[in-house]
Amino acid sequence: MTLLLVEDDALLAETLVDSLGLEGHDVCHLADGEAARARLAVAGHGAELVLLDLNLPGCNGLAVLEALRRHDRDTPVLILTARGAVEDRVRGLDLGADDYLAKPFALDELEARVRALLRRRSPDPQIRIGALVLDTQHQRFTLENASLALPPREQRLLACLMRHAGEPVDKARLTEEAFQGDAMGDNAIEVYVHRLRKRLGHSGVALRTVRGLGYLLEEE
Amino acid sequence: MKRGDSLYRRLLGWLLLPLLVLGSLILIQAWVDAQRTADRAFDRLLEAASLAIAEQVQWQDDRLWLDLPPAALEMLATDAQERVFYSLVDRQGRLITGNALLPGDPRQGAEGEDTLLYRHIDWQGLSLRQGVRRTRVEDWRVREPFEVRVAHSREGRDALAARLWRANLAMILAMAALATVGLLLAIRAALTPLTRLRRAIRARDPRTLAPLELSLPRELAELRDTVNELLARMRRVRANQERFIGDASHQLRTPLAGLSARAELALRQDDPMRWKEALIAMQATSARTARLAVQLLSLTRLANPEYRPDRVPVELNALACQAVRDHWASCHRQGVDLGVENAGDEVWIHGIDWLLAEAIGNLIDNASRYGGRCVTVKVEHCPPRLIVEDDGPGIPEPRRMLMLRPFHRDRDDLAGSGLGLAIVDGIARTHGARLQLSTGHDGRGLRVVLQFPGDTS
Repeated sequence: MTLLLVEDDALLAETLVDSLGLEGHDVCHLADGEAARARLAVAGHGAELVLLDLNLPGCNGLAVLEALRRHDRDTPVLILTARGAVEDRVRGLDLGADDYLAKPFALDELEARVRALLRRRSPDPQIRIGALVLDTQHQRFTLENASLALPPREQRLLACLMRHAGEPVDKARLTEEAFQGDAMGDNAIEVYVHRLRKRLGHSGVALRTVRGLGYLLEEE
Repeated sequence: MKRGDSLYRRLLGWLLLPLLVLGSLILIQAWVDAQRTADRAFDRLLEAASLAIAEQVQWQDDRLWLDLPPAALEMLATDAQERVFYSLVDRQGRLITGNALLPGDPRQGAEGEDTLLYRHIDWQGLSLRQGVRRTRVEDWRVREPFEVRVAHSREGRDALAARLWRANLAMILAMAALATVGLLLAIRAALTPLTRLRRAIRARDPRTLAPLELSLPRELAELRDTVNELLARMRRVRANQERFIGDASHQLRTPLAGLSARAELALRQDDPMRWKEALIAMQATSARTARLAVQLLSLTRLANPEYRPDRVPVELNALACQAVRDHWASCHRQGVDLGVENAGDEVWIHGIDWLLAEAIGNLIDNASRYGGRCVTVKVEHCPPRLIVEDDGPGIPEPRRMLMLRPFHRDRDDLAGSGLGLAIVDGIARTHGARLQLSTGHDGRGLRVVLQFPGDTS
């Protein structure tokens, strides 16, 4: 999978190329805004995801983004910038960026965001979180290479959590998803979460509670 | 102010305008006076002529009879070649003799009294000045009233009036010219201190903030004092900034020095274990330095008095949830349980969403950094409040206010920058909100409350 990294700082770029390479991505690095714009302004640029710095020599990162979005609305763009100001973030997101990461950031964080963005657009019918795999076409789960049979409500609940892996999903949303409009109390969902937790056991996939926000599925 | 507006021109305008009006009034007055004087002089001639005629009227053969004295008419025709008219009219209004039937005195005078009337008349297309003398023939046989009417055209009067007026006009114009020159000089003199002030300001070094030393008239002295007050305020701001920059550069340079020293030391050694130790230490320091730089920048931006971002309606529950979402992962990695407790209803305030997000971020960060294991962001309604509570060691009461000062840290605080609460304080001020630090709800930890002014609309 080809990621295009547009970043002018040599140390940071080298580090990112290496770390994303270790994750199994094929990373192409450009240090110059003008070159990036030339590359992205035409169809067939071949990038699955663009990591874009905003302060670039030659041409502003937002202009690069604009050039890309003029013909391509699908390729996810993750903006990396040292400009902390949120006005910039808003402008970037308005211009069609998908996510935003302010420098300095932790490598973990960047890798997680890249995974999430790729998963969101992935035509891959499989969602994989550590040892847990969901075959979205057949709604079949596999845990540690063994088939995981679930009752329908738990199945819908887990599928929903997997689609939003890494971000908290609130209780109301999960209740709606799992019970599909059946009137149930707020706490009913907790029973199902408890059961799912038991099933996941020590597989390395954890179903966490985010107080006040809901539940979150992530790889430990 | 429109283009070309100047104090000089304004003063000139406001002073010249009344001068002009006054001058015009004087000219009109002079013209009226000249007319009046000319009329008075020439009316004497009418009086004399009519008297001369009246004295020659006699009663003969039961009728009035006039032997016209030529001098009487000659005195009315002066150098200006006026046309002269006269008529003698009896009590019934019949013309006895004359060269024109002039209109008479319309007043009903008391019988037997001599009257003399001057007036302007328009007669057969001519503008005339007329004198009408009403008198009577008196001898022992008869008392017969009659009217002598004399008139002449106005050329002589007009010529005299014009001559009188012209003489006045020259004097008035000369006075006006003198007054205008005086006015210009006075305005120029009055504005001189302003020019001096301008030159003094222009001659200053733009970097200096020293007060203006210049003796000026009272009105301008007030201006100078106001400018000096402003300069004093700017001096204080600059002193603050310089102290801040001093602190900041110290805070930034120290970890950078540590980083490069650590790297240098590690490169001198050959043991990969030492390298790893060095790298771990450097990662921690660089992360701390990076955070410090970010905080310094936010604080600088908040401290900029020119920085007045637009306020928009912000919903606090959504803001708190988003902030918790953003920080949950990093807290979780550190083993901190971060959660949110929303108010039941929506809580709207006017604020700057990303600044508030930054404030919550800083508070969460502080809480997890200083030993909080369970950090909760709460939103309360009426009054609108944003609360971040932790179960860490808290801050003892006497030190709480000190924590709001930039770069202030507790003695046992080695990892922090001492900027987090200062930033939150700055953000609270920007929102007109009150920042309160207190003990957590079960007597431990720290509870930071941002209470917004009560617009819950």
